[in-house]
Amino acid sequence: MNTLNRLLAFCMVFAISFPSLAQEQQFQTVITPAFTPVDWDRLLDARQEPENWLMYSGTLDSQRYSLLDQINTDNVTDLELKWSYQIPVIDRAETVPLVIDGIMFITEAPSNLVAVDAQTGGEYWRYDHELPDDLRICCGRNNRGVAILGETLFMSTLDAHLVAIDARTGNLLWNTEVADHQAGYSKTAAPLIVKDKVITGIAGGEFGIRGFIDAYDPATGELIWRTYTIPGPGEPGNDTWSGDSWATGGAATWITGSYDPETNLTFWGTGNPGPDWNGDVRLGDNLYSDSVMALDADTGELAWHFQFTPHDVHDYDSIQIPILADIEFKGRERKVMMWANRNAFFYTLDRTTGEFLIGKPYATQTWAQGLDDMGRPVRVPGMAPTYEGILVSPPIVGATNWYSPGYSQDTGLFYVTAFDGEQEFFKRDEDYEEGERFTGGGGRYTQPMDAFHSSIRAINPETAEIEWEFPIQPRSSAGITTTAGGLVFTGSADGFFFALDAASGEELWHISLGARVHAAPMTFAVDDQQYVTIASGNVVYTFGLRD
Amino acid sequence: MGSQAKAWRVLLLAIATCFPVSFTLPAFAEDGGNLYNTPFDVNAGERYFERQCSRCHGFDARGNDETGAPDLTGRLSRASTDVGIFNILREGIAGTAMLPVSAELPDAQVWQLVAYINSLSDDPANINLPGDAISGARIFSGSADCDSCHMIGGVGGRLGPDLSLVGDRRNPEELMSDLINPDADVNPRWWRLRITDATGQIREGFRMNESSFSIRIMDEADNLWSFRTSEIVDYVRIEESTMPGYAQTLSDSELDDLVAYLFSLRKEN
Repeated sequence: MNTLNRLLAFCMVFAISFPSLAQEQQFQTVITPAFTPVDWDRLLDARQEPENWLMYSGTLDSQRYSLLDQINTDNVTDLELKWSYQIPVIDRAETVPLVIDGIMFITEAPSNLVAVDAQTGGEYWRYDHELPDDLRICCGRNNRGVAILGETLFMSTLDAHLVAIDARTGNLLWNTEVADHQAGYSKTAAPLIVKDKVITGIAGGEFGIRGFIDAYDPATGELIWRTYTIPGPGEPGNDTWSGDSWATGGAATWITGSYDPETNLTFWGTGNPGPDWNGDVRLGDNLYSDSVMALDADTGELAWHFQFTPHDVHDYDSIQIPILADIEFKGRERKVMMWANRNAFFYTLDRTTGEFLIGKPYATQTWAQGLDDMGRPVRVPGMAPTYEGILVSPPIVGATNWYSPGYSQDTGLFYVTAFDGEQEFFKRDEDYEEGERFTGGGGRYTQPMDAFHSSIRAINPETAEIEWEFPIQPRSSAGITTTAGGLVFTGSADGFFFALDAASGEELWHISLGARVHAAPMTFAVDDQQYVTIASGNVVYTFGLRD
Repeated sequence: MGSQAKAWRVLLLAIATCFPVSFTLPAFAEDGGNLYNTPFDVNAGERYFERQCSRCHGFDARGNDETGAPDLTGRLSRASTDVGIFNILREGIAGTAMLPVSAELPDAQVWQLVAYINSLSDDPANINLPGDAISGARIFSGSADCDSCHMIGGVGGRLGPDLSLVGDRRNPEELMSDLINPDADVNPRWWRLRITDATGQIREGFRMNESSFSIRIMDEADNLWSFRTSEIVDYVRIEESTMPGYAQTLSDSELDDLVAYLFSLRKEN
């Protein structure tokens, strides 16, 4: 180093003093190092540290029920904006951030990740995933969230990779190709950590893929097990697909599953069979499309399955989050799974066996007369798509969809964003071509969207009856979070974020955020202050009680 | 420009002259290389760049955090071929501030711009380094102990930049300078801040981010800290590197080996 450089280096070491503003402090300094490693025990007991939101659905049972009650029915009107974070890439945000010890991890379109201070939104680091320019994606450049184990974050990317990111620095630790993006595979959902494995699904149901659920080694990114959602030749269920249609049958797994530690089962919903709207080329029930699959978390072995919509021809993916709870059911405690399906029926199942306990419609539907004793739908004849078009309810987007439902341990109610709509379904003949869309038809609305409406519906899982509903306009795609403060937080397509009384459905607070809410809220606390966060448009907003 | 390329240009000119119709390359190029890559073309591309592109990418094409425009002097993340660059110039990048060039701009000028962008980075394949990368890898995790602070491929420390793809962003001269004179060019991410809060507590760490009203650091134990400026009574910013210079501790040949190894850390490798 020459003398001039030494002088410059010396000059660059300078001090800036701020006036003492201690007397004006409104918040405590974070006095512990933000972020400590998240081991499996912490994930297992995630509800017991409600100040953190440790996984996509909050807890392994996916109830999205937080024990935080600082914000409650009495004071929710005192909520105010604390900070907002603008996502730099313009798209619609579907992210549910994680918060660990005062740090928030936010996924962004197309496949990026940023770490911010959960109290201020100030950035720590960001990871921008490099993508090829020949992506095959059906429905936007979305990413819904990450999973964490130890000090490592795990994220799906649109090029069908799974990446591991150092939570302290944003450094890329490993990058594993899960499937070939050029063949129509992509990844959008947050993985699920179960013990020492990263469990993750795949998207691409509109491209003739063959769906699967994978488990990876968190240290190395190596595949530990893969369970296909469509059985191969010689496996039970392969005969539910005519000819070779199993090989391009879809059944993607593009939303996060749940886990039950008592049975060591992980539960994943599966998507539509492909081609979506032309079932003629895939005669049979098409297992395990439109199902919930219960897998041994250690081996991936199928323990049981329940198919909600056999031989689906309306794109009624069972891509909903399985909510697990122990409830009183007909006089005895049952370990159940609650599921409001895209096909407009609500189901309560025994999660240890898959036994159907009860099911009823929770939204307008015209395709089924009802469910039989086994929970199998009894179809209305003549409702399959035609070349000329036929009007069916629910429409392609479903009575609900991927957006998270919620459950409150206080009310015992299940909450879902429901849509009452209808659509004309068309069938078309298509040949499979790798990497190209393979849908066999489509749909169109015969009325303006304003003719329909959505509702937040509270369902009693014991009776499958709707206890209350709160109508919203127009079709909503927002998820739901409940709290011990007696609140249901959710949003609407016209840009409102709002809180309902979990017991009555009464609206207690709302604010316009100016853009569609296409994500689910989450709640956390830092320095004894509770916050609630929601993405709207391309912005992540965080609210807390007025100081 | 090779004689074959010249011949193609003559042929194209002849065809365009013979046919009294507008002759242009397809608006969205799919194959074929850049026929416009003479020094004249590079200069013409530079003039266009300075006028139309430098507002976001900078006069030195090194990018701009404020506009989000990337550095164009290293490996390009969104295009790996001339055609890829051409298509981005023609089509823009949806969802970003990167707009397409004017639809009226002739393809020839777009190709000149491609030639200029290409001229900003040397093709690594044409760079012959004196060092041995395999020996450099041994030095990296051996005598130089670089991996105690730097991560490569997910292995190493957090107290310096991740070097997994450092060869894409630093050329061999810059890498040698980094090794022998680490204070010369310290990225602000690796400045250190010494912060005193209202209680008198002092914390020092790497500057992860500094905004108008808050500061975040990572201390040497990898702990992350966030401070509101209203809670800070004093802070010191140290813009020197924590990395030791290796001019005295490594021989010239060892330095060459280390540079060869670091420069080999590129995406295509």
